[in-house]
Amino acid sequence: MSTKPWFSNLKCRECGRLYEKEAIHICEFDFGPLEAAYDYDAIREVFTRELIESRPQTMWRYRELLPIDGEPTVGTQVGFTPLVKADRLAKALGIRELWIKNDSVNYPTLSFKDRVVSVALSRARELGFKVVACASTGNLANSVAANAANAGLKSYVLIPSNLEQGKVLGSLVYGTNVIGIKGPYDQVNRLCSEIAGKYGWGFVNVNLRPYYAEGSKTMGFEIAEQLGWKLPRHTVVCMASGSLLTKLHKAYKEFIDLDIVEKSDFSIHGAQASGCSPISTAFKAGTEMVKPVQNPDTIAKSLAIGTPADGYYAIRSMKETGGSCEDCTDEEIVEGIKLLAETTGIFAETAGGVTVACARKLIESGKIPSDESAVLCITGHGLKTQEAIIGKVGEPRVIGPSLREFEALVADEVGTKN
Amino acid sequence: METTRLWLMYPAKLITRPLVYELGHEFSVTTNVRQASVTNEIGLVCLELIGERGEIKRSIAWLEELGVKVEPVEINTIEG
Repeated sequence: MSTKPWFSNLKCRECGRLYEKEAIHICEFDFGPLEAAYDYDAIREVFTRELIESRPQTMWRYRELLPIDGEPTVGTQVGFTPLVKADRLAKALGIRELWIKNDSVNYPTLSFKDRVVSVALSRARELGFKVVACASTGNLANSVAANAANAGLKSYVLIPSNLEQGKVLGSLVYGTNVIGIKGPYDQVNRLCSEIAGKYGWGFVNVNLRPYYAEGSKTMGFEIAEQLGWKLPRHTVVCMASGSLLTKLHKAYKEFIDLDIVEKSDFSIHGAQASGCSPISTAFKAGTEMVKPVQNPDTIAKSLAIGTPADGYYAIRSMKETGGSCEDCTDEEIVEGIKLLAETTGIFAETAGGVTVACARKLIESGKIPSDESAVLCITGHGLKTQEAIIGKVGEPRVIGPSLREFEALVADEVGTKN
Repeated sequence: METTRLWLMYPAKLITRPLVYELGHEFSVTTNVRQASVTNEIGLVCLELIGERGEIKRSIAWLEELGVKVEPVEINTIEG
């Protein structure tokens, strides 16, 4: 692959000021978030469907639109997860055509976070960081720990001290330094920001955030490619900070602008859990002012961010694309997980249950018309959040080792040979 | 001396109170409003606080005690 400087600058999303490509993430003038800017004219000259198709099936086949200078060095196998046609789920939800973008089988840690982390850590290496870190309640921590281990980078993972054991183990196993921090969420958050500012570490979701966030675009690029170089009419995606939704929007726009896909209408819809739905609440109230949720309370813990950094931008993306927004209860989340599993064979984490449950509402209300087509983005594997469905999906029926007992059990369910 | 950048979120009941002014008089910190948006329902202020570490901590505690939500500018340091 060529390594021309396609990635040109960091740029403030508010005022448009340009910055050098360093480990910074906030505009010094208005504190607006910085994001990666590219030399699209130079990219347009070389970036074609043929070039993309000639490359290995990983997220790095869209390398010109990712914010690193050289070749990727971390997470080179990440991405290109299946886009599955889900006819049985489509029927259950009452829509003509439905696809699942299945990032629950992303490599290596079974969530879409591997996309963002591989970009952040590849860039961290280019910037000379020896230590990388993150503050996370689950998927991000697992991904940073695993990818840093593979790349030989020292890593620190900061977590609230009351996190579930399963999630802690999912990071500890990779040999990372896990630090539990006591206290309410706000104080943990503030300490992490202080640490990020004080130590010369590459904090993937703080000072490396502009690089990290861009990795999400690859999910959008892949969806378009896997649909036969077409944009989906509707995309439904769960929202925590709202970043993924805004990056899908950016990905679709970049593909249109670079003539990789034909311009067509597309709508992006957001999904949240009712127990923490600051973006959905603001959207439904018709405002862009996202009010913080003081005490998030939902089983979809990976979405439980009360002060979503990209909430404002997510609302703008939904409005601009004619999208909509929904939220759902914990019971509906569990139903969503079960429905997805029973109709597609895909076991999603609670965030996936949110996406399915909200898609159902969007279709029922006509916001996604039933005669159109939609893609649901599933962002993490259900094995990570098993506690959410324990006791809610039934129990095995136990019998003795006897054919008679077995036949008595299944007599009403299946016919016998004789 | 340290510089801290914070988002303050005022609930409706505090919107009319000159909190930044009071903060500058109550504590030895320099306050610098960098961005603000105030409606009838909520006030959002992006504030730079310059001062000794302990004084900044006390300022934040005072704001929180009044009911102001205080976040680092890097909100969402913790992710899923």
